[in-house]
Parts: sequence; C-alpha cells; structure tokens
Amino acid sequence: MSILKVSGLKKVYSPRFGGNKVEALKNVNFEVEQGEYVAIMGESGSGKTTLLNILAAIDRPTEGSVILGDMELSTIKEEKMAAFRREHLGFVFQEFNLLDTFSVEDNIFLPMVLAGKPHGQMKERLVPIAKQLGIEELLKKYPYEISGGQKQRVAVARALITNPKLVLADEPTGALDSKASDELLRLFGEINENGQTILMVTHSVKAASHAGRVLFIKDGEVFHQIYRGNHNAQQMYQMISDALTMITMGGEGR
Amino acid sequence: MRLGFYSKLAVDGIRKNKRLYLPYFITGIVMVMMFYIVTFLSEMELLRYMKGGATLRMMLPLGSKIILVFALIFLFYSNSFLVRQRYKEFGLYNILGMDKKNLGRIVFFENLMSALVAIIIGLFLGGALSKVAELGMLNLMDQEIEYSFRLEAGVIYDAILYFSGIYLVLFLHSLIKIRRSNPLELLRSSQVGEKAPKANWLVALLGVILLAVAYYIAVSIENPLSAMVWFFIAVIMVIIATYMVFVAGSVAFCKLLQKNKKYYYKANHFVSVSSMVYRMKRNGAGLASICILLTMVLVMLSSTVSLYIGAEDSYNRRYPNEISLKLPVPTLDEFKEETFSHYKNTISQYVKDVEKESYYANAGISGLLTKTGVLVDQQAHAQFSFDTVSSLVYIQILPLSEYNRLHGTDYTLGQGECLLHCLNAEYNGDTFTIEGADTLKVKKVVDKMMISGELAMQMIPAVTVITDEFEAVMAPLMKYESEYGDHLAELYWNYGFDVAGSDEEEIAVYDVLRKNMSDIVIHNEDGSYYFSIDSRAEGKAEFFGLYSGLFFVGILLSIVFLFAAVLIIYYKQISEGYEDRNRFEVMQKVGMMKRDIKKCINSQVLTVFFLPLLAAGVHLSFAFPLVFRLLQLFNLNNLSLMIVVSLATYFVFALVYALVYKITSNAYYAIVSERR
Repeated sequence: MSILKVSGLKKVYSPRFGGNKVEALKNVNFEVEQGEYVAIMGESGSGKTTLLNILAAIDRPTEGSVILGDMELSTIKEEKMAAFRREHLGFVFQEFNLLDTFSVEDNIFLPMVLAGKPHGQMKERLVPIAKQLGIEELLKKYPYEISGGQKQRVAVARALITNPKLVLADEPTGALDSKASDELLRLFGEINENGQTILMVTHSVKAASHAGRVLFIKDGEVFHQIYRGNHNAQQMYQMISDALTMITMGGEGR
Repeated sequence: MRLGFYSKLAVDGIRKNKRLYLPYFITGIVMVMMFYIVTFLSEMELLRYMKGGATLRMMLPLGSKIILVFALIFLFYSNSFLVRQRYKEFGLYNILGMDKKNLGRIVFFENLMSALVAIIIGLFLGGALSKVAELGMLNLMDQEIEYSFRLEAGVIYDAILYFSGIYLVLFLHSLIKIRRSNPLELLRSSQVGEKAPKANWLVALLGVILLAVAYYIAVSIENPLSAMVWFFIAVIMVIIATYMVFVAGSVAFCKLLQKNKKYYYKANHFVSVSSMVYRMKRNGAGLASICILLTMVLVMLSSTVSLYIGAEDSYNRRYPNEISLKLPVPTLDEFKEETFSHYKNTISQYVKDVEKESYYANAGISGLLTKTGVLVDQQAHAQFSFDTVSSLVYIQILPLSEYNRLHGTDYTLGQGECLLHCLNAEYNGDTFTIEGADTLKVKKVVDKMMISGELAMQMIPAVTVITDEFEAVMAPLMKYESEYGDHLAELYWNYGFDVAGSDEEEIAVYDVLRKNMSDIVIHNEDGSYYFSIDSRAEGKAEFFGLYSGLFFVGILLSIVFLFAAVLIIYYKQISEGYEDRNRFEVMQKVGMMKRDIKKCINSQVLTVFFLPLLAAGVHLSFAFPLVFRLLQLFNLNNLSLMIVVSLATYFVFALVYALVYKITSNAYYAIVSERR
C-alpha cells in the first residue's frame, strides 16, 4: 500500500521584484510504500530541501500533488495544517531543534501536549520508545546537559511519540560525529523494521546506504533510484557511490 | 577617509538596529530635556521673591540631581543591553580582521553620535518645553504669568558638561567590555544554553514573610510621628521583599505549577509555564525594579496630588481663624478672667473690626502616654529615644467651663473626674494619672473637640483632659521645669478672629499686632516673653507654595520614573523577542499553530507586563494607611479625598501602562515572527 504519493510536483520561486524565476522542482514523481525506508540524495541546490518542505506541508507546490495516506495536502486548510502535521508527521532535524526550556521528557511530550492528550497516555507511549532509543536515564535532564547523539535520539523520540504515518528526517546525521551517526542509523533501521515508514533527506552516502531505497534528485527531477534488494549496507554504499559518480559525470541514468 | 569609514560603519550599525537604538536615543533625549527643564526652573528669578518659592528653590535642584543619577543608571542599562546585542556583529568584524582598536573606533563614533543626538535634541526640546513647564508651575502656584521666553546659558552649559560625562563613562564601559571578550565568544554569546532555574524556596519564603511583616507595620501604625520613622524601614523592607518575591518566589511558583501534572500538561499551560520559569529568572530583578519604580511614582503622585487638592482644606484646619493668637499666662494665679479681658481690651486698641471671635484658655504640656496616664517629668525620664517616639503625646488641659462654652454642651463633673478627648491616640484606661498630680477618673471619652490650629499642627497625638478643677490639676504640674529653667507646663489664652475686608487688610492687622506684641504680652518675671501669632493669608501663600511645589516636583519626577519603567519594559520585551524567536520556530515545526503561538505570547507578555503593575497596586494599598498618617503631619486629614486621588492615579497609570503594552508587544511579536 502506498502511503505517500508525489506526482508532477513543481515549485517555482518568483522573486518579489522581478528578476529571473527559479525553478527549484521541475517534475518530481515518486511513491513511498507503507513501512518503507527511503533516502533522498542530491547535491546542494538540487531541490531536496524544497521537496522536504513541501512534504512537511511547510511550503506549498506551484503544481502537482502530494497525497499522504488518503489526504491531498493542498486541500488542507491553513489552520488545520498544524494539527495535520502534528498527527501524521514526525520530524527529525539536523540541528535537533530541542527546546532548552523543557526537560528531555517534556520535549518529547510537546507534540502530544499540543494535541491535548492526557498526561497518562503520554507516559504510556514514552516508556517503550525511551527504552528502544536508550534514553531512559536522560528523561529528567535538560537538552544542554546531554551530548549531540543523545539530543538526536531525544528528537527521534519526539518524532515517534505521536505514532506518525511518516517520519521526515532532514540530514539527521549532519551534526553528529561518526560514532553517534552509526548509532542513530542503526536505530533508524530498527525503527523501520518495527514498521515505521521513514523518508530521509541526506547527502551522506553512509546514511543513505542504510535505506531500503535511494532516490537521486538532480535539477529538480528524480534522476535515478536504487533498491537495496538483498544487498548489505556495504554493497549498497558502493552502489550509491557509483551512482553518484555517474550522475556528477553527467551520464544517463534511470 | 578612514575615519569616514568607521563613522559609516557606526551609522550603519545604528540604522540596522533601529529597534534597539531608538529607545536608547529617546532615553538620552528625555533625560537631557528633563534635566534642562528642572534646572532651568530652579534658577528662575521669580522663585527668589515668590511666597513658597524657598521650598521649590530647595527641592528643584534636588530633583535635577536625582534626574542625573537616574540618567546615568538608565543609559547604562540600555547601553549594556545594546552592547550585548551587538556582540555578534563585532565578533564578525573581529574575525574579518578588525582589531579591537578598530572596534573601539566604531563604538566611539556610535557613542559620539548618541551623545550629540541626545544633547542637541534634548536641549532643543528642553528649551521649547521649559516655557510650558514654567507656565504650568506658575499656574499651579497661582502666580502672575510672564510670557517672555529665554534660554539659560548656564543651564545649557551644565547639561552639556554632565551628559558628555555620562556618555564618556558609557563609552569607556563598552570599550572595556569589548576588550575583555574574544572573537569566538563574541560570535556565540547569545547561544549558550541557559541552565534551568532552580527554585530557591528559602528566599521565596523569606521574601513573602518580609513582605507580610512590612505590610503589617504599614497597616498597624497609627501614630503619625512613628509613621515617619517606620515609613523608611517599611519601604526598605518592601523593596528587598519585592526583589526576593519576584526573583525567587515567581520561579518557585512556576515550579509548583509544573509539579501539578494535570495543570501543566495542557497545551496552553505547557509552553507558557515552562518559558515563564526562564523569563522570571532572567527578568525577576527587572520586573521588581519596575514594580518599585511604579510604586514610588504612585505614592509620590497620589500624596502630592492629595496635598495639592486638599491644600485649602488643610490650611483651614491649620488656621481656623484669619488671625490666631496664643498669649501666655505666666503664672497659675493669673489664670483668671481679669487677665483674659486685659488681653482682649489691649488687642481691641489695635484692631477695629473684629468678626467671628473665639477664645479659650488652656494649658499644655508634653509627655509620654502610658496605659494609666502620662509621664511629664522630662528630667526623670530620658524621653526622646527611639522606643518612646510612638508614645510621645501632647496633653492639653482645658477647664470644663471652657469646653462647655465652646461646644455648647452642659457636662458636669464630680470631684476627681475628667473628660478625655484623644486625637490620633488611643486611651482605654478608666483613670488618667498626670505624673505628679492626682489620679483623675475618666467619666467619658468625648468625640467632639473644636480642633484649634495648634492641635491641628501637632505632629504627635494629642490628649485633652477636661477638668472642673483646673487649678488643682495644674498646681503640681507648674513645678516641673525644663533644663533651661522654664515651666514645662504652659498656660495660654487663645484668641482668634476674622478681619473684615480683604487679605491685604488681614495682613496689615497681622503686621500691626506683631509689631506691638511686646506691649501686649504679659512678660515673665525675668522680662522674657513668648507669643505666637498666625495669619491665614500669610499661611495660605506658604501652604500653596509648599504644596504646589511638592506637586510639581512630584509630577516631574513621576515622568522620569515612569519613563524609566517604560524603557525597562521595552528592552525586556525586545530581548525576550530575540531569545524566543528560536523557540517559536521550533514549536511551529513540531505542530503549533501560529494562532496558538500568538495567544501563548500574549498571555506571557501580559503576565510579565502587568505583574509589576498589580504588585504596585498591592503595595500602594498597603502603604495607604501609612502614607495617610504621614500626610496628617501636613494637616491633610481628608480620607475620602486621598482614596479618590489614589484610585484615580492608579487608573491613569494603568491606562498609560496599557498603551505602552500595546506598543511593546507589537514590537515583540514583530521580532518573534520575523523570518531569518
């Protein structure tokens, strides 16, 4: 079953005072199946941030449609958008985006509190997630007291606590050292095995090599894609590297 | 050319940070302006010969000193705020290769420009408005108005001198700050994670207790003289307590809310309470300062306005008659009708048309009020110590016949009985013993007492003993002598009357009587004599001079304080805005609606904003009884007037405050919702 369907997506930025229009996305089409782990790769300026913003319903496309579950994003009214985002999407950011004023626990609770859920239910949801992510000991601490890797795991917990249809991760290993990156990617794999659909934007080959499928974006279009199939992470790494070389060399893909 | 480059950078910096610099400029301008106006007024020729001008000539220079001190404090406050906000920019310049000397040059030009703007515009506005202030003052004081306009070169010189000094200090301060920092720190300074505040329960509790004690003191004191002593103690206690409660108490309170899971984990409470903890930790001191400034302004304004409005009431109380004379009777033997009519006849030789005559004979002695009576022997008791201040009392002894005649009553007293009247004092005993005299049985405590000017003037409480055996009561008291050898107890014949005609005629009579007093008054054996004579018309000018002077200075200082409060609030809002911007961005990303964010901001801003006003209101209402006692010293005894004035002042303030709130919260919201 397809959980996310992106078709004919186009985004044109027109500068306010005339000038050249910039076409960030030309024509993007892809689908994500329930339980899939997809990585999107592309160089700076390839349009991947624009794509992610549109998927996150922070930005709106010029043309085309994004269907999440059975909802067409463009039909959702502005005031419902925040609630929609809260209920159906989970976010993991490069810069963690934890709030210093909240304890770790309260940071994780934030989306649920905003959704008006009772405190008992939050606690219930938190226990297994904290255990899985290994952050049980940190719950009473404050974000400035813990390391980057720990922060990112807390951010993952925050993304998961609402039980979202789709977790959107924007360069999640970008601010982590290699050890913390490995740990985070391992966790992403584990979470995915439990059935969570993940869409990750990255330009780290290593991060992408953990995904089940990798989409390459170039000049606002999906240029190429690789399925993991039965390959292990190392083979996947090699395949991605080759694909990237090919793309930068300007060869024909697809 | 190079200098031009730095000054251009400075101008750019100012222009790009309009939101920060504008209030800084305005502060400087207003301070220079107020300084000019107040100093200008204090140097006014007219004050030298105007009635009551002496008071103003004393108070206005004090006012301009206060303004200077506050100017330094406020400018310092806003300047250090500016430097902190601009660290990042300086850090960037530093990394790009500007050394600290170059940065110092930029700061120098910025300060130079601030100083020039403040002094030039401030003096210009001050010059323009000084005439308005002068007209306002003269109008208040009921004086002739002259419409000529002038500038005081001396005052301009002073303003330039003092404020250049202040800006120089500010410049040096920013220079030291920049010199001490390193570029990385400069770049990062605003992003260091702040520790979660811990509730300091002990301090919070102490603050609440201290406040309660101060409030108790304020409410429980009845004696105006001890009110004066306790006032300052209570004020200091309240100031300390306010800081403690705002800084520690507020954090403790938020922590308590956080402990209540049901309350805390609600969408609208969650964000507000958790950021409130930080907000209070950072702003507690600032808010406490605002609260104290507001309270000061409110107390100052409400009391000076009350005094001013109640001035007529007060001088009528103080001067029941147009001319009041207090004439001594040297010995007890002479305390008889012959002496009194001698006085009356002598005076009638000098004054022709006398109206509304009133006269009575009495005796007075001061002492210490106890539970059973009064101690009067000054040499036996060390009286004027701190502990006894509250029991100091003026005892008036009034023959029953005089009391009945004055009040149209027909009380009769048996042997050893007396009537009592208490003014600002309380006495509950059944008997009343005047030290050295017989114990009197209190037959009744009477309410009615024609308050003479003399009683109205008393700073200390007054107890009147009304007796039918005046001589028997007084005889033993006459033996008490002060260390200078004169009687402690004094016998008087009081005579008051109105003069037909205008104030000028009244003053003419007053002058004639004064000149001939030595002939009128019966001298003591040693040839010395004593008298007192008051003229209402004379006193009126003094009263108006004093009260309108107080009122005017009150208004001027209120403007300065209010301005300070607004400034602190504005900078709080702005700095909060910059700090909250990140937070709200994240919240939006995790699914908080813009509308909710706005609501949340509003409720926080509202709390931070109106907390000091609210607390100031509470302070004011508890200070009210104490202030009222103090104003009694100024002959103001009109409770309802003071309540109305206080309420009105508070209301006007709330209005101004709400306006400021509107403006600053807009600025805050603009910053928070700004996209980077």
